[in-house]
Amino acid sequence: MKVGLFIPCYINQLYPQVGKATLELLEKLNVQVAYPSGQTCCGQPMANSGYESDSVGACNNFVELFKGFDYIVTPSGSCAYHVKKHYNIIPQSEDVINVRNNVYELCDFILNVLKIKDFGASFPYKVGVHKSCHGLRGLRLGSCSEVVGERYSYIEELLQHTKGVEIMPLKRSDECCGFGGTFAVTEEAVSVKMGKDKIKDHLDSGVEVITATDTSCLMHLEGLVTRNNQPLKVLHIAEILNSNL
Amino acid sequence: MSHSQLASIFNKDEKKVDWHDKALWFVRHKRDLSVHNVKGWEELRNLGHGIKAHMLSNLDNYLIEFEANALKNGVQVHWAANAEEHNKIVHSIIKENKAKKVVKSKSMLTEECHLNPHLEADGIEVIDTDLGERIVQLAKEPPSHIVLPAIHKNKHEVDELFQEHLGTKPCDGDPQYLTGEARKHLRQKFIEADVAITGVNFAIADTGGFVVCTNEGNADMGAHLAPVHIACMGVEKIIPKQEHLGVFLRLLARSATGQPITTYSSHFKKPRKGEKMHIVIVDNGRSEQLSRPDFRASLHCIRCGACMNTCPIYRRSGGHSYDATIPGPIGSILSPGKDLTKHSTLPFASTLCGSCSDVCPVKIDIHAQLYKWRQIITKETPQPFVKKQSMKAMGKIFAKPSQFEKVGKVARWSLRNLPKSLINSKLNTWGQARDLPSGPKQSFDQWYEERQNNKKD
Amino acid sequence: MGSRDQILARIKSNKPELIDLPQIDTSVFKDEDLDLIKEFIKKVEVVGGNVVEATSNADVIQQIKANFPDTKNNFSQLKDADGFNTLNLETIQNPHELKDLDVLVLESKIGVAENGSVWLADDDIPVRVLPFITKHLAVVITKQAIVAYMHEAYKKLSETKADYGVFLAGPSKTADIEQSLVIGAHGALSLTIFLK
Repeated sequence: MKVGLFIPCYINQLYPQVGKATLELLEKLNVQVAYPSGQTCCGQPMANSGYESDSVGACNNFVELFKGFDYIVTPSGSCAYHVKKHYNIIPQSEDVINVRNNVYELCDFILNVLKIKDFGASFPYKVGVHKSCHGLRGLRLGSCSEVVGERYSYIEELLQHTKGVEIMPLKRSDECCGFGGTFAVTEEAVSVKMGKDKIKDHLDSGVEVITATDTSCLMHLEGLVTRNNQPLKVLHIAEILNSNL
Repeated sequence: MSHSQLASIFNKDEKKVDWHDKALWFVRHKRDLSVHNVKGWEELRNLGHGIKAHMLSNLDNYLIEFEANALKNGVQVHWAANAEEHNKIVHSIIKENKAKKVVKSKSMLTEECHLNPHLEADGIEVIDTDLGERIVQLAKEPPSHIVLPAIHKNKHEVDELFQEHLGTKPCDGDPQYLTGEARKHLRQKFIEADVAITGVNFAIADTGGFVVCTNEGNADMGAHLAPVHIACMGVEKIIPKQEHLGVFLRLLARSATGQPITTYSSHFKKPRKGEKMHIVIVDNGRSEQLSRPDFRASLHCIRCGACMNTCPIYRRSGGHSYDATIPGPIGSILSPGKDLTKHSTLPFASTLCGSCSDVCPVKIDIHAQLYKWRQIITKETPQPFVKKQSMKAMGKIFAKPSQFEKVGKVARWSLRNLPKSLINSKLNTWGQARDLPSGPKQSFDQWYEERQNNKKD
Repeated sequence: MGSRDQILARIKSNKPELIDLPQIDTSVFKDEDLDLIKEFIKKVEVVGGNVVEATSNADVIQQIKANFPDTKNNFSQLKDADGFNTLNLETIQNPHELKDLDVLVLESKIGVAENGSVWLADDDIPVRVLPFITKHLAVVITKQAIVAYMHEAYKKLSETKADYGVFLAGPSKTADIEQSLVIGAHGALSLTIFLK
């Protein structure tokens, strides 16, 4: 099984610890992970802003780097979703089709490809799960509150098998945090308000650590938490699953 | 003004935002409680989607069938290509009947066509009879929600409005008292009316009948008392058969308010003996929307408002921030089809979270259409120079790994070394209310390279 | 070309290729354990009405008289209720004359368990505005007339032809002022269902 690791641009530059945790975790799970050099971005920032055509170079770079892998794993539901859903703007060669089919968000990969739940992680904290939208409603990494059917959540399932974690219930289990890429800047007022409300929900529930499958949402929430000196820690799910506290 | 400008004005009063958000979330919550108890709910949504998609693919024939059956039923049928023609037709029916007083039940189509000012200009009294619509009519405002037109007003504002216009006593915003007074006031209007105008929720091709849904009973009070009933419908309101109502009436009220069905689902087919019934079928841009493969599913909409109640942006920016007849997510995919430049900021008033698509009873891929409108808007309407150039630059940076590395280094250095006052200055919108990450010394790339080198050593 | 032909022509050229009409398979909705009557009663209450049992039409009238002892204007469609009616519909020239009606009793032939609605059509309502203009509404229905879902209700309706009909669920209501539910908007202030 050839597994390629994709580290999204903002994690690479701003949150390298999330990349490290992802790599270490996969290695702990005996996955032979390659990290092809020359990675940039999946192309989402341009595409979601309405400049899909300016993202073609990023798409091609992505496919070129990852075409030879059986699986492409990334600590981001949003980027994985973008590759799957929006790489229809470049010619659909066999490589492109393979890349789109084989890209996985980290929790999804661990649970549904490796089929491992319990790997001895421990993290003795009250955890609040932020269900990032693109993973939730795009990749269906869990059931969302709108849709009728069986309830499940990959990230929560992995956390349930992490020693010491207490998952705290939220009033609004899967409302958007308000990040939304350039939305965070172009619709600053609403974006900030959404983030503040999200954080309040976690604080009201006694959460000590907010986690998610996406660092982008967490960067937005952390920005607010830091600015307002709130008693919350923000960690990517890879950092928790890689913990042995 | 752009959506974001209007939204930031709305956000100046945080308490009001909280109140608005909670009121609508409460409706969304009631919807959840209701639909999660319906066996086969997702299958119902599939059927709703499938029936509407089929209808659109055969719409011309269904309209012809509907017209023929309606005529057989003794109903007069009119066709309007646009809002202006719609208003003219309604006006001429009113004049024909020498009518002066019109009662109207809730109809988003007549809002879209701006019928009221057209009629009022000729001295015709038009009274909106849905309580929420009456409230916004008295306040001289457009509805801010398609099901809850006055959701942006609190009870004290309604209290003051009624004191001023209906002569009610101060009541500290008692909804029971205010509703009772509105009932008396509107009773009189129903009794006096010469013409009743209603919307249409569903028009059935194979019977020529149509269904109007209300909770208050205002459509029926109007239509059964006035000698003339005019029903106005968009072309997309057609459903093929009466049995399809079984699907749509199960979906509609549950999605809208969580009720299992609206209080009144009234099936009109023939006029009362000796009285008149008219149907006005309106296009007004719908056939054009039908021509757009990526956007035609927006015509599936049954106007339940669930996408508004669920939308985290709508709840925190208010319906008026959309500056369009239909606000919220569904409005943001309908309005650009009518006026791309005027509504160019609406598809960006979303995080693309997808909640609208998952809540939609007829499975319109709303968030996917928002994404697609964005691609069109950046090409066809003037965009800020800075945005355009920065996207181009980003595209180039991300296409070339070496470029990306250089830019990343500079960015991290800046975050680490520049003073916070500069980083969070006015030029940086992000930093107004949020801190930026601290900027690590080493990128993941550099760490990885170092690790690989150490391994070799 | 008039607007009619223009609109139809535009639609014809703009519509997609024919998409099949899905068939409704009602078996996916069926809950085998559903107690129809219990569910109907529960849902009538959810929509703001109340349900009482009655043994006969005479019993219905007696209960109504007990509940509304001081009403002036009453009308009932029930067969043996002559002593109850204070107005004669045949003398009514204009529906406006019904505006002071206090209590109205009608009969319904279809009730729907999933939403507590009852079907009232032209046959059941001599003047269309009656169930809306009355202050209080009572509807008599037999237990045999209750169906589980709207799909079955429409199956039954396909055998009849009504020029007007309404699925009526509870008294009229509104929540347009701050989402506070108020019973009694424009239509009836109360609804009582008599189950026979």
